[in-house]
Amino acid sequence: MITLSSVRGWNDRGRRLSALVGLALLGVVAACGTSSTPTAKPSAAADASSCTSTTVLSATCDITTPSAVTLTGAGANSIEPFFETVFYEYSQKDPKTTVTYSPAGSSVGVTDIQQATVDFGDSEIPMTSAQLAAATGGTILQIPVDLGGVAISYNAAGVPANLKLNGPTLAGIFDGTITNWDSPQIATVSGVSDLPNLPIKPVHRADASGPGYDLDQYLIDTSPAWVSAIATSTSSRTWPLATVGVGEQLNTGVATYISQTSGSIGFVEYGYALQNGFVNAALLNAAGSYVAPTEQSIALAGAQATSVSATDFNVVNEPGSGTYPIANFSWTLVYQKQADTTTGIALGKLLDWVVTSGQQDAEALGYAPLPANVASLAQTTIRELESSAGTPLFTS
Amino acid sequence: MIPDAALRLPPRAGGQASRVRRAVLRNRGRAGERAYTALRWVGAGLFGAVVVALLLSIAGDSGQALLHSGIGFLWSGTWNPAAGQYGAGILVVGTLLTTAVAMVIVVPIGLGTAAFLSELAPRWLAAPLSTLIGLLAAVASIVVGLWGLIVLTPIFANQVEPFLASMPVLGWLFRGEAYGPSVLLASVVLAVMTLPTMVALSRTALAGVPVADREAALALGATRWQAVRRAVIPAARSGIQAAVTLAIGRAMGESIAVAMVIGNRPAIPASLTAPGATLGSAIVNQFAEATPGIGTSSVIALGAVLLLLTVAVNAGGQALLRRGRAIPVSTAGALR
Amino acid sequence: MSAVLAARRRELVRATAQRSLARRRLTGRTAQAMCAVAAVAAVAPLVTLLYYTVSRGAGALSWSFLVNAPTPPTIPGGGISTAIVGSAEIVGLALVLAIPTSLLAALFLFERSGRLAAGLRFSADVLTGVPSIIIGIFAYALLVLPLHQFGNLAAAFALAVLMLPIMIRADEEAMRTIALDLWEAGIALGARRGRVARSVVLRGALPDLVTGNLLAIARAVGETAPLLFTLATPLAAMTLLIYTDGTQAFRVAQETAWGTALVLLGFVLLLSVAAKIAAWRISQRAR
Repeated sequence: MITLSSVRGWNDRGRRLSALVGLALLGVVAACGTSSTPTAKPSAAADASSCTSTTVLSATCDITTPSAVTLTGAGANSIEPFFETVFYEYSQKDPKTTVTYSPAGSSVGVTDIQQATVDFGDSEIPMTSAQLAAATGGTILQIPVDLGGVAISYNAAGVPANLKLNGPTLAGIFDGTITNWDSPQIATVSGVSDLPNLPIKPVHRADASGPGYDLDQYLIDTSPAWVSAIATSTSSRTWPLATVGVGEQLNTGVATYISQTSGSIGFVEYGYALQNGFVNAALLNAAGSYVAPTEQSIALAGAQATSVSATDFNVVNEPGSGTYPIANFSWTLVYQKQADTTTGIALGKLLDWVVTSGQQDAEALGYAPLPANVASLAQTTIRELESSAGTPLFTS
Repeated sequence: MIPDAALRLPPRAGGQASRVRRAVLRNRGRAGERAYTALRWVGAGLFGAVVVALLLSIAGDSGQALLHSGIGFLWSGTWNPAAGQYGAGILVVGTLLTTAVAMVIVVPIGLGTAAFLSELAPRWLAAPLSTLIGLLAAVASIVVGLWGLIVLTPIFANQVEPFLASMPVLGWLFRGEAYGPSVLLASVVLAVMTLPTMVALSRTALAGVPVADREAALALGATRWQAVRRAVIPAARSGIQAAVTLAIGRAMGESIAVAMVIGNRPAIPASLTAPGATLGSAIVNQFAEATPGIGTSSVIALGAVLLLLTVAVNAGGQALLRRGRAIPVSTAGALR
Repeated sequence: MSAVLAARRRELVRATAQRSLARRRLTGRTAQAMCAVAAVAAVAPLVTLLYYTVSRGAGALSWSFLVNAPTPPTIPGGGISTAIVGSAEIVGLALVLAIPTSLLAALFLFERSGRLAAGLRFSADVLTGVPSIIIGIFAYALLVLPLHQFGNLAAAFALAVLMLPIMIRADEEAMRTIALDLWEAGIALGARRGRVARSVVLRGALPDLVTGNLLAIARAVGETAPLLFTLATPLAAMTLLIYTDGTQAFRVAQETAWGTALVLLGFVLLLSVAAKIAAWRISQRAR
């Protein structure tokens, strides 16, 4: 049993049994007017009459691929809980498609897609024009596939949950000027007077990360002291003040440190904070309210993004009273020209499913469903996939 | 080994070398001989090709970084890729420090264990104990790293490091806030990883000393321990040296396990309990992110620095070995 | 008069010798005790490590764990079959690449002298210290990029490069220690070099060759860094799986990681036992 989505479909007797039951049920539904060829794929039996062409993408169309395809992906660690669940569900619906994903980090995703060693990459930050220019296989399409938030989690006995913190205080913690939980600055901002006398142990990402980039952006936006401490006002994927506190790898490393160290505070993708049952801070947003990270507050951050694109992707510190200030979209990277048509079609079907039906899984895992405008941007971009000759792969 | 130089002796010279030479020359023309010699060259050639390709690959990729930062890259003090600063100095210090502390732990314990197993322990104990230690060699380094991350880190943060800091004199070495991940923890993890190699190779070296040496010392009136210390260990010196060199090489090159437990702070550690960073851990953390061009090149340049360090250690070790051989082993001192 | 002096001198010598013996015995016993302490200190981490691995991983072990394909943590019934098969393939391929090459290169170094041999020997010494992550990057640049594909071949190549210098040095040391006289004897009897190498050197040094090679193999099987750069997914090898699952929050994922660690340990032990039996069989046949 593992957490990563390399799924091979039907291999367990128990699952075959439940599939037969499902087939029986769907057979009943299918009997109400659609063609009911008894196959082992319930979805095919239900949808075959709606669109017979493999080149049409739609929620009601047949998503199964004609031949077995393996899609390899690599990229962000932060989207991994979402990807592994949706990829597994997709494989249940289309057993011929096998999807593997390596959550080694956004940078790995970018490098791998640049070198065309994977079919798709995923990055928490869209590629810059310099990175796009370095791609070896032509134009890259960037498709937003989920909306997540960055939680500031801490492990300090005696500190209440959803502690109110603002940018300057957080900056003080991460640049080493605030060293103890009972510091007056924290007491003032949070309004809590009996904080424990416990040294603060900040933990950041040792590797480059989307959450690090987002928190850096938030601190740059809200704290002039942070800007002077890091001597720049451009946020960076690599944590700029690595000499303060401790650095760990990936969300999982940071989460392990927080869960085992008393007095620690760090940033992780909200999905991981949820998994670990962490206590999170309520951050001051642009409207002046202190908001804790929840699926709803993150969704509100995304809803503010009326004109999201790969060049205008920042949803940090968005307005709105219930908005969580540190949120971001995750971007899947694919080549527009697909060398192999079968792979391209499978890829398009997978991504289209992820940004439509797949979004139902988001909330339970700690992500927010894509807002309508972003979902339609995603769907439009997917339909730009072409064959190697330049003809579009999908007719609608 | 019969050096080929011996074959250049004039044919009239009598003796063993001449007979061997004639035997070899008689065989040189035969077909099987040529095939075998060719195969040998293939093996050596493949290995040589791999060495050359590796060196070229590292040198080539790191060239850009060295051109950009100059030779000062090797000792420049700041490693801050976010700000575009690439300097290996701090990482070199971190690498040397963790390796040194790891060796301080491993060499006495390893040598002591080897001596115990090979010379001093009763037979019924030696065999199972050495099998047990050999078992540790079979444990993957990632498992040791994971164990260090999950089990040792909280113990170090909550118990070991505060205790060490409170010691009267030595406590100065361990002062400062106890985060858990630290130079000390990384050194301990490295020690656990390199211990089996040290014990196994030292044991082989000690066992390889002729029994006559031991017996001679005992006959001269040495106690058992004196025989070991004055006769056996010096005679096994080259093997022990090889063991230490291999252990150092492994410790310096370990990357993922170190990155998990060292805290990844690119600064000179204020004390042994402070987080630090090594060349290996920096490579793990940076490689994927490195911006194509100067970023990637700097990371590979770190690899080049690591390689140079390894060469220096190896060369130093061999020089020590040559000097050590000049000192005669004396068992007469056993009488004092 | 001189008899008295002689008697006093004998007394003096005996007293000095007895004091010296007592002191040396004390030093010796203390030192022996410290060595015993060292042995305990060496064994203690192993015992704790093994105990921890077994206690966290034994619960995951079952037949279905070994043969089922992986599933996400919320779906029960998954296993690590892809990782086991992947690791076996990669290690097998790496051995096919490394063992013949290392034996031939070791024979080369054993039989020849001169600057080329010395240079190769020094390179092997240095290369034993090359960090495995550098070798992973090397394999990535050499095999993954040009072929635009991750895969077992690149991973096997990386592991072979890792094992090669260790095996070469260990093999040469074994040959030199065991088989030098035998080699000279064989050559002196008029046998061809190839014959001597095969029947005398390799056969004679076989047990030590196996031990030395096993150290290298155990090290390579436990490596993670080279696989990070050459494999497409953590499910393709056991060490990668341990690395990725070990820090996950799901208890199930952690159990999987430690169960995999146990399987890996068993894998290495199996290899060692198999190799030792094979070596014993071959040396038996020589009789």
